[in-house]
Amino acid sequence: MYFWGIEVRLTVWREGVDVLEGVRRWWDRYAGQLLVALVALILAIAFRYANGVLWMELYQFVSRPWQSQYNPSLVVEEAKVRELRYRIQELEMQNNQLRQMLSLPSTLSTQATWAQIIGRSADAWWQQVIISKGSSHGITTGAIATGAGGLVGRITETSPHSSRVLLISDPSSSVGVVVSRSRALGILRGQSQGTGVLEFLDRDPDAKVGDIIATSSFSTLYPEGLPVGRIRSINLNHQPAPEALVDFSAPIPALEFVKVYAPPQ
Amino acid sequence: MPLPNNKAVKKFLDLIQPWRGLAMLFLSLWLCMLLMPLRLPGLAIGDIAPNWLLIWLVSFSLSRPVLVAIIMGMAIGLVHDALTIPQELTASVPSHVWGMMLISGLTALLQKQRYLQEDFISVALIVFGMTVLAETAIAMQWSFLSFTGKYNLGQIWTQQQRIALVSALLSGLWAPVLHFPLTRLRIPQLDNRP
Repeated sequence: MYFWGIEVRLTVWREGVDVLEGVRRWWDRYAGQLLVALVALILAIAFRYANGVLWMELYQFVSRPWQSQYNPSLVVEEAKVRELRYRIQELEMQNNQLRQMLSLPSTLSTQATWAQIIGRSADAWWQQVIISKGSSHGITTGAIATGAGGLVGRITETSPHSSRVLLISDPSSSVGVVVSRSRALGILRGQSQGTGVLEFLDRDPDAKVGDIIATSSFSTLYPEGLPVGRIRSINLNHQPAPEALVDFSAPIPALEFVKVYAPPQ
Repeated sequence: MPLPNNKAVKKFLDLIQPWRGLAMLFLSLWLCMLLMPLRLPGLAIGDIAPNWLLIWLVSFSLSRPVLVAIIMGMAIGLVHDALTIPQELTASVPSHVWGMMLISGLTALLQKQRYLQEDFISVALIVFGMTVLAETAIAMQWSFLSFTGKYNLGQIWTQQQRIALVSALLSGLWAPVLHFPLTRLRIPQLDNRP
């Protein structure tokens, strides 16, 4: 038994040496690669911490030859569109004056910058765009992006010359909205496509197919009264809350420019 | 790699020789990162583009030790997170790290046991399979998050089918385009293939 003990111990020792030998050989062979991978990991942690700002800057710089400035004269100007615009302007003026008389805060800042969409999301699970203006143009995190048609999203990341917009069509984005006609409240979430799901807060909301949806005054992230979309279909029996499918009014996949407003106070 | 017969070029290449491989590794990774937000016609289907970072990672992991591949997978996962996840949501959304670590480790294992040879078809096939795995890893994380009530489980898995299939198809098709230049520019000191 004693011999057995020694025998066993000797084998263990020899195997230990073999293992050490193996580790050393592995080290001799792969130390360089391991070092490269570890350095890459440290760099990646730093890059993650900065959330890709360097990448956004470089992308903006590289794509500069394909960028163009927004030119309002390029927008198709039919007489009818012009007329509607004048009327809206008039109504907005009146609205602002009435708000001033009631000493209510104004909804959307008058300062806005146009920016070109230069890139889309780096992952199909996310609905984002990269735009060609950033913190050096006065854009801050939380700023509101609108496009032809209405609300588009909000800025989640800025680098000096570019920003990332989280679109309202993203499932992780939620917008407090209201049905324009009946003032029924709800929360709108994206579905990664051209539609969103509106979850009503009320059990029996007054909403019809075709109703216009706008941001509500209870929304903390978005200013009040921005057009968002139109109800396509309603499911009042949905649990836990009634739901409606909403078509976004802005043609998000086709947009080339967005207008960025300062975040609401 | 055939080089132009020019003294100055040769001298320059000799000078940077020790760093050439590393520089190529780094530059090719940056090129892939810059390709990620692009949607070129013919290169994207339904707003889904090839996953260049994943192709790069598979290409790196082939014929590398598993540990090295997994560490690089972690690094690439973090990089992909930085490219996509909004800062304010960091804690409450899926990370790419797990999927990337899984696929880099698996790729390294695959090659080690010589299940597959290194040619056009097998690289495309590996990338196809790995993309499906990576997207499924993301979908599973979303599924866990769906218990909070914010996300819809059914919607996540319809999304997963669409994204995994299209992304795997595109990535698989474009994989050889990235893989072969990368393998021709290997690091001499770090290359241990016969």
